[in-house]
Amino acid sequence: MTALERAGHRVFLAAASVVFLAYVLAPVAWLASSSVQQEAEITSRPPHWIPQRPTPENFAAIFEAKEKQVTYENRRQGDPATGGYIPSTARNLMPAMWNSLIVAVAVVVLNLLVSVPAAYAMAKIRFIGRSASIYFMLITRVIPDIALVVPFFLFIRKLGLLDHLGSLVITYLAITVPFSVFILVSYFESLPDELDKAARIDGCSRLQTLLLVYVPLAVPSLVAVILFTFLTSWNEFLLALMFTQTPASQTMPIVVASFASDFTISFSFINAAGVLAVVPPVVLAIAFERYIVSGLTAGAVKG
Amino acid sequence: MARIRLQSVGKRYPNGFSALENLSLEIEDKAFVVLLGPSGCGKSTTLNLIAGLEDVTSGALYFDEQIMNVVPAHRRDVAMVFQSYALYPHKSVYENIAFGLRMRGHPAADIDRRVKDAARRLELEALLDRRPHQLSGGQRQRVALGRALVRQPAVFLMDEPLSNLDATLRIAMRAEIKQLHQTMQTTFVYVTHDQAEALTLADQIVVMRDGVIQQIGSPEEIYDRPRNTFVASFLGNPPINYLEGMLTEEGEALCFQRGSLSLVLPHALALRLKGQAGRSVKLGLRAEEVDEHSVPRPGETLHGRVSSVLPVGSDQYLGFEAEGKLLFFRVGRDLRHREGENVALSVNVNRLQIFDSGTGDSLLWSGNGA
Ligand SMILES: Nc1ncnc2c1ncn2[C@@H]1O[C@H](COP(=O)(O)OP(=O)(O)O)[C@@H](O)[C@H]1O
Ligand SMILES: [Mg+2]
Repeated sequence: MTALERAGHRVFLAAASVVFLAYVLAPVAWLASSSVQQEAEITSRPPHWIPQRPTPENFAAIFEAKEKQVTYENRRQGDPATGGYIPSTARNLMPAMWNSLIVAVAVVVLNLLVSVPAAYAMAKIRFIGRSASIYFMLITRVIPDIALVVPFFLFIRKLGLLDHLGSLVITYLAITVPFSVFILVSYFESLPDELDKAARIDGCSRLQTLLLVYVPLAVPSLVAVILFTFLTSWNEFLLALMFTQTPASQTMPIVVASFASDFTISFSFINAAGVLAVVPPVVLAIAFERYIVSGLTAGAVKG
Repeated sequence: MARIRLQSVGKRYPNGFSALENLSLEIEDKAFVVLLGPSGCGKSTTLNLIAGLEDVTSGALYFDEQIMNVVPAHRRDVAMVFQSYALYPHKSVYENIAFGLRMRGHPAADIDRRVKDAARRLELEALLDRRPHQLSGGQRQRVALGRALVRQPAVFLMDEPLSNLDATLRIAMRAEIKQLHQTMQTTFVYVTHDQAEALTLADQIVVMRDGVIQQIGSPEEIYDRPRNTFVASFLGNPPINYLEGMLTEEGEALCFQRGSLSLVLPHALALRLKGQAGRSVKLGLRAEEVDEHSVPRPGETLHGRVSSVLPVGSDQYLGFEAEGKLLFFRVGRDLRHREGENVALSVNVNRLQIFDSGTGDSLLWSGNGA
C-alpha cells in the first residue's frame, strides 16, 4: 500500500465515521435542541438546530407541574411565556420517573442475586440436567413478549399485583434473568475450572468461591448485565401498559406516551420529557464507562 | 499427617463415563506416591477424589481411619498444585499465598510470618506485590507451590505441576520438590505422565491405565519387574523391544527361540517359568540391556543389521533389524557402527522379560511372584 493509498484509506474511514455518527446522533441532538424551543419554533421550516430563543419553560412545566391543575378549561392558558400546551398528565412525569427508577433498581439487584449464583452453578457444577436448563432458559427468550402478555396478565391478576410496581419487577425479572445468566455462564465458563478447584482447596465453600474469586473477576460481565437489565426495565413499554393503570404504578414510558395522546400535543414538552428520560441511563453509562466495552465483548468470547 | 486409603473406589461422571472402576490403593503417611499413566487414564480424577473436588461414586475413601467420602474439599486438610497453576488473577502474589490461611482464619501476624517464610524459601520475596500476569512461568509455578506449602497440609497433591515448564527448569524443580517432601514430612501424591519424573521422585509408583491400576511398586520394582507389557512399555527410553517366540527346553536349559535366535534363560528366570516350555511368549528386551563391547557368548547373542544410528548427545540410539523386526537400543556414543553393518550384540539375559503373548501379562512377575 502506498502512502497515498493509506492516506486515502484514512480519509475514507474518517468520513464514514462522521456519516455514521451524524446518523446516530442527529435524533438525539434534535431531541435536546427542541426541548428548549417553543412550540412555535419547533414547527418552523427549515428546523432550527440551534434554538433562536431558548426557553426553560418546558422543563419548568415538568418540575412545577405538581402545583398546577391543568384542565380542559385552562389548558390553553398554559404557559403565557411559551404559548405551549401542557398536557393534563404532566404532573405524573416525575412520579413516573421515580417509579421507573425504583423498578429498574429493584430488577437490577434481584436479577444479580438470582443470575450470578445460577450462572456459577451452571458453569462450574456438573449436575444432571445442566445443559438442558441452560437451553430451556434461552428458549424462553425466543418467545416474543406479546405472546406472553395475556398469561402474564392473568398471573399478575391472580397475585393481586395489578397496578402495583411488584407486577413490573416480577415480569421484568422473567425477561432479563435468562439473558443475564447466559452472559454470565459464558464468562464463568471461560474462567478455568482449576481456579474453582484451587479456591475450594484453599478453604472456600461454593458460595465463598463465587463471592471471593469469581465475582471480582467477572466485574466487566456484571457491568454488562447491570446495564442490560437497567435499560430493559427503564425502557419497557408493553407490559407496563398492561399492568399499570394509575399514576401509582405508571412508569416513565407510559406517561410520556400518554402526552402524545392528550387533547393537543406539545412536541417540545414531550421532547423535554424525553431528555429527562435519557438522563439516568447516561449517568449509568458514564459511571461504568471503563467496563462497558470489555464487558460487552467478554460475554461474546464464548457461547 | 495422613495415610490415605481408597477402597474399591469407582468414579462415574454425570455424563455416564466411568473414569475409575474398583480402584484400591493405600498410601502410607509421609510417602511420596506418583500416579503415572497416559493422558486420560484417570490420574487427575483420582487426585480430585482425594482432594474432595469430585465425589466418589462407589467405594470408600479414608484418611487414617476416618471416612472422607462426603467431607467437602474445604474441610479436608489437603493442598493442591495444579498444572495451570490456577493463581487468582486479581490477587497479588502475597494474597495468593495468604488466601488459604485467611480462609481458615489464621491470625494476621501468623499469616504474615508464614507467607514471608514461604516466599523466602521459594525466592519470591521480591515479587510479593506483583500480580500473576506479571510473572514468568517458573515464578508462577513457585507461587503455586508456595500457596500449597504455606498451609502445611496433611496431604500435598500435585497434578502435573511441572509439565508447563521448560526442560531445564523442570529438572531443577524436580530436585526442589523432592527436597520439599523431605522437609515438610507430609504425604505427597503426585500425578504425571512423565516416566522420568516418576522414577526420580517417587517412593511408590502407581501405574494406571483406563482407570485401572496396573502395578504398584517402588521405581526399581516397576522398572525391573513390570507386571505386564503396558507397564514395561510405559517406562524406558527408547521403549522396551518385543520379540514373539517360543519357550523351548534344550537339555537342562530353558531357551527363548525365534528363528535363528536362541537365548538361554538364566537359572533364576528359568525357575519362575517351570513347566512353561513350549508356550508361545513375548520377549521383552530393554533398550539398554545389550552390550556391544563384550564378546557375545553363545545363547546370549543377537545377530542383526544396523539400520539407523541416532546420536542423542550422551548416547546414541541404534535402529537394529533382527529376526525380521526393527528394534531400538541405546548404546554409548563411543561406539562407531555404520548403517548397514551386520553386528552381533551381547544380550544381558538376566534382565529379560517374558510375557504371555496373548494377554501381555508377565510370566515372571505377575501375581504371587512379584
Ligand atoms: N468432568 C468430566 N466429565 C466427564 N468425563 C470426564 C470428566 N473429567 C474427566 N473425564 C474423563 O475421565 C477420564 C480420566 O480423566 P482424567 O482423570 O482427567 O485423566 P488424566 O488426568 O489421567 O489425564 C478421561 O477419559 C476424561 O475424558
Ligand atoms: Mg490430568
